Amino acid sequence: MAGQIKHMLDAIIQQRAKGSPTVALTTKTKLVLKGINPDRFSDTADDDPAIMAKVRAIAADLGVIV
Amino acid sequence: MPVQTAFSTKQLPEAVVELRQQSKTTKPRVTIYFASTKYDPAMLGKQMKDAFPDSILVGCSTAGEITSGKMLSGSVVAMFLGSEIIEDAAVAVIEDLNSEAAVKKAFAGFERHFGCPLADMDLHRHVGIILVDGLSGAEERLMEKIGDLTDLLFVGGAAGDDLKFQGTHVFADGKVFSRAAVLLLLKLRKGFEVLKTQSFCSTGKKLVATAVDTASRKVISLNGRPALEAYAEAVGLPPAQAPSVFMKHPLGLIVEGEPFVRSPRAVEGSSILFYCQIREGMELELLDAGDIVNDTRRAVEAKQAELGRLAGVIDFHCILRTLQLRDEKRCDSYGSIFTNIPAVGFSTYGEEYLGHINQTSTMLLLR
Repeated sequence: MAGQIKHMLDAIIQQRAKGSPTVALTTKTKLVLKGINPDRFSDTADDDPAIMAKVRAIAADLGVIV
Repeated sequence: MPVQTAFSTKQLPEAVVELRQQSKTTKPRVTIYFASTKYDPAMLGKQMKDAFPDSILVGCSTAGEITSGKMLSGSVVAMFLGSEIIEDAAVAVIEDLNSEAAVKKAFAGFERHFGCPLADMDLHRHVGIILVDGLSGAEERLMEKIGDLTDLLFVGGAAGDDLKFQGTHVFADGKVFSRAAVLLLLKLRKGFEVLKTQSFCSTGKKLVATAVDTASRKVISLNGRPALEAYAEAVGLPPAQAPSVFMKHPLGLIVEGEPFVRSPRAVEGSSILFYCQIREGMELELLDAGDIVNDTRRAVEAKQAELGRLAGVIDFHCILRTLQLRDEKRCDSYGSIFTNIPAVGFSTYGEEYLGHINQTSTMLLLR
């Protein structure tokens, strides 16, 4: 099912931000600095298993569940 | 006295005596100081503690100092923050930069001090300052761990040592630490802003890091080609000449149009060494340099227009910017940006804002 990476990244940002645009931006920046740019993943992007594993690990580091 | 600044170019002990005279206060709540490595760090730390015994004291060694109206070298600068600005403050020292547990322990200490979980602290009134060893290569790991654990902002810089690259120091409560970091968490009565300004714009040319050695800050290939070859083509020069434009054309990680600068440092074979980590797969854009003084002045003035009068500014200013300003003989012009603002800062071996970045001024603006 394509687009899972985007949904995972959106969930990470939403859970950390809790509605704060400021935290949403800093969380996105942290993801980019970790090597995952949310802007590069769309609803139709392929679900690369290696990237999905990396996103899950990042989510764990950030204390969120995806 | 909300914010007072002081500086001295004298030797110890006269330098600290001069700071004390300029402080115009008997009991600053927090004192932040930045000092040239011409000062014996142990003596400086002790004398600062003796001069300001009731103050929370943090600082670090530098590659140049900044104070209101001036860029200096071979000096010590200090900012004294009174209770009108500071509602509360706490310090933690991380002596093992490789330890995740040390960061958690520091944050647990903050939570005990403030009587509140970090997650419940007001993001607009709590801000952290981080001063970290500039030669350990641990900045990225430390900033990443901090960012994992909290959404509070920690801004700061990597300590310098006057371009000797032998050893940097951080100070806490009069004590000196090497290969360590000091975290200062402030609760501010009137809030703050962070200004990150880097005087570059994107050329639109994209370079994807296709092979890297992250730990050594080395990029092996860009766009599937040897890194130096790909970079040289992007800047339009033969590979042998490409390093001559490293400072003018660093690379940037772009987030919402904002570059987080990664500065190339040296060539190793066909690889490029950077002043900060680049992860495999990162899409970078080639940057083009602007005018440091004019761009910074505009950025600071825009913030002043937005926020009104600033109580103080702490400028974590990249040594690469300082070197360029020295070369262009524009240090006085840069210092003049802060003539009418209580300001201190230092030339860093890297700036800290959400991560470790280069060729940037990251400023904490106190309201």
